[in-house]
Amino acid sequence: MQRASRLARELSLLATEPPPGITCWQNGQLDDLRAQILGGVDTPYEKGIFNLEIIVPERYPFEPPKIRFLTPIYHPNIDSAGRICLDVLKLPPKGAWRPSLNISTLLTSIQLLMAEPNPDDPLMANISSEYKYNKQLFLLNAREWTEKYAGQLRASKPLEEKIIQSETSTSRESTIQKRKGVDISRKEKKSCPDS
Amino acid sequence: MESSDSSDKGSIDQSEAQRQSQLDRLDREEAFYQFVNNLSEEDYRLMRDNNLLGTPGEITEEELLRRLHQVKEGPPQQNSDENRGAESAEDVSNGDSIIDWLNSVRQTGNTTRSGQRGNQSWRAVSRTNPNSGDFRFSLEINVNRNNGNTNPETENEPSVEPSNGEDLENSQSDSEIPRSESPSVRQPGSERSSAEELTAEEASLPRGQRRARSRSPEQRRTRARTDRSRSPINAVSEAPRRSHHNTSSQTLDHSSAGEAEGSSRTRQHVTLRQHMVGTEVPSENAVLFSPPETRPAPQAAGSSETTGTSESTAPGQRPPTIVLDLQVRRVRPGEYRQRDSIANRTRSRSQTPNNTVTYESERGGFRRTFSRSERAGVRTYVSTIRIPIRRILNTGLSETTSVAIQTMLRQIMTGFGELSYFMYSDSDADSTGATPSHNVETSEPQSGGGGASGNENADVSSGEVYEGGHEASSTSGARREGRNTRGSVTFEESGSLPFLSLAQFFLLNEDDDDQPRGLTKEQIDNLAMRNFGESDALKTCSVCITEYTEGNKLRKLPCSHEYHVHCIDRWLSENSTCPICRRAVLASGNRESVV
Repeated sequence: MQRASRLARELSLLATEPPPGITCWQNGQLDDLRAQILGGVDTPYEKGIFNLEIIVPERYPFEPPKIRFLTPIYHPNIDSAGRICLDVLKLPPKGAWRPSLNISTLLTSIQLLMAEPNPDDPLMANISSEYKYNKQLFLLNAREWTEKYAGQLRASKPLEEKIIQSETSTSRESTIQKRKGVDISRKEKKSCPDS
Repeated sequence: MESSDSSDKGSIDQSEAQRQSQLDRLDREEAFYQFVNNLSEEDYRLMRDNNLLGTPGEITEEELLRRLHQVKEGPPQQNSDENRGAESAEDVSNGDSIIDWLNSVRQTGNTTRSGQRGNQSWRAVSRTNPNSGDFRFSLEINVNRNNGNTNPETENEPSVEPSNGEDLENSQSDSEIPRSESPSVRQPGSERSSAEELTAEEASLPRGQRRARSRSPEQRRTRARTDRSRSPINAVSEAPRRSHHNTSSQTLDHSSAGEAEGSSRTRQHVTLRQHMVGTEVPSENAVLFSPPETRPAPQAAGSSETTGTSESTAPGQRPPTIVLDLQVRRVRPGEYRQRDSIANRTRSRSQTPNNTVTYESERGGFRRTFSRSERAGVRTYVSTIRIPIRRILNTGLSETTSVAIQTMLRQIMTGFGELSYFMYSDSDADSTGATPSHNVETSEPQSGGGGASGNENADVSSGEVYEGGHEASSTSGARREGRNTRGSVTFEESGSLPFLSLAQFFLLNEDDDDQPRGLTKEQIDNLAMRNFGESDALKTCSVCITEYTEGNKLRKLPCSHEYHVHCIDRWLSENSTCPICRRAVLASGNRESVV
């Protein structure tokens, strides 16, 4: 219903106050968005840049957007096709989507999921058991994948833009800090320029 | 990454054009909200319930206004539609396919038809909501009791008409003079038929079986004729029906609602078949007949009925008017079956506080509700079917689905197939299996029995039986009863193809079973509503992320969260929790309450 106007508002918000470590932009169509999430510090995804595809359904916001990873990621709740197992991405009663959420909050949730996998609700059983019972191996694999697929060299250009954006947002950090995952992303910002 | 680069540039390039179109859209949205805000509550409901609001930004205000006027003028239009209805009726009668009919309905929107036969007059009204894909038939039959004979017919009729899928609404013409609107086909038949019927009835009086046999030939003729000369058919079919009717009803009375008792059903069933079979297919008769003989009870019942029914029983026991109300609704993605059922219940309740029986069944994703009520001589049947058709179009019909649909539709068309549901709730699966084969009425004794079991069910069952017979003979020619037959027959004959179109007609729903439960319109309307005033500081509707402006209508949920009416209503129609706090909007437990 309100998709168009709502999306317009959300996009302008995302442009002016992106959550730390997250960027999102329109990909041609109004309903086709792209996003990048920076891997959090102290996670095996650190220094990785993960691209996501966001398809906004016609019925948005009464239906959640469809979000998937374009960048391969080694994660118990994200499968090889990039699909994400996350409750807020699904409609109730199975899921927890509600129209008061938005793309920004969803991306933040995904960022958090990356930092805190949920092995009890696995999408990738083997990765999940590895995460549970052989964490070292999991970390190793995840890092390897991050380096291989989400290395910064591959994504350097967009990254720069992102960094700029996230730096501009630093000034607003005080307001943003309340959000979950802020800590991670703040660290990220620091780390990003280094690289 | 690369893709992102290009996409960035792309978006920039496109931004100009997009910006313009988005601006236009925003303007329209603005107009939309303005429009909604200016609507009176009644108008708002009217438009919302008819799905006329559409999507903000896609519809211009003028269009909205036009729609509103259209809706408001709706009722008168329907009347004026009668002429059209007549035409369409003809189509129906001629075009043997229910789907054709559906299509015509879809095109014309609303249709009203009426006709008369013998003492009874009928009127069918169908309404289709082009936006939602829902459609509804109501069929009302009035019987003139001056003739004792007619009574049975009336009852028969209902069964027939329902089969068409239309509900009979008030047709109250007592005289045998066909209404101007009544389809040409029927008219010729009606007079004759009445006369013939009389004879037939008399003949039939001795026993249902005899009647059946004697008439079976007639039916064939009728079929052969394929014309509209239905009089013979009518007579034939009716007579058998009557017999059914009587039998079934009586049996029913005795065993009334003996759902639990399989035996009673079977008997009834058998009896019904006999009559039915006799009427339609002689060959089958042999088979069928044998069983009946074995069972004395049914026969006796039948005989008693025949005598009693036509003469004495009818006036007192049978309501002069029968109203069938059939609704087929497409289930929207978010809609929950539970909710549907609630709505139905509410509806039926409100219609008839007394003597209401509601039955609800769910099978293979369908939810169907059937209720019957009797009051002040008017018998009302309400049947609502929710069909979440999933991926039928794309995927093709999965066996189960198509079967289930077929069954349901067939039953609908047949008229009171529901009754059988009544009986069978548990054995649904069985019936389904059997039904798809349609032709096998014989094989489906249960269904027949089911019909019989309900007092009123008799009608239904008879309808079904007939169908079976017709089908067996594979004649679609039998029209007059034909309506019943037609519906079912068509389906069967047409096979899956028609179903496809039917499915299309109902529209598809891709969503899965596990869908959120929404609230009914009534429930939503019960929530507090107010106008936004400037004094209310702050606040943005969290659904559309738009700040409230003066005059906006807000809905306040029990948890005190507020939203734009049009925003929250849509969410609540598919969900039952507050978008902000996720608290249930309704006190739990209400949902399950039945009748």
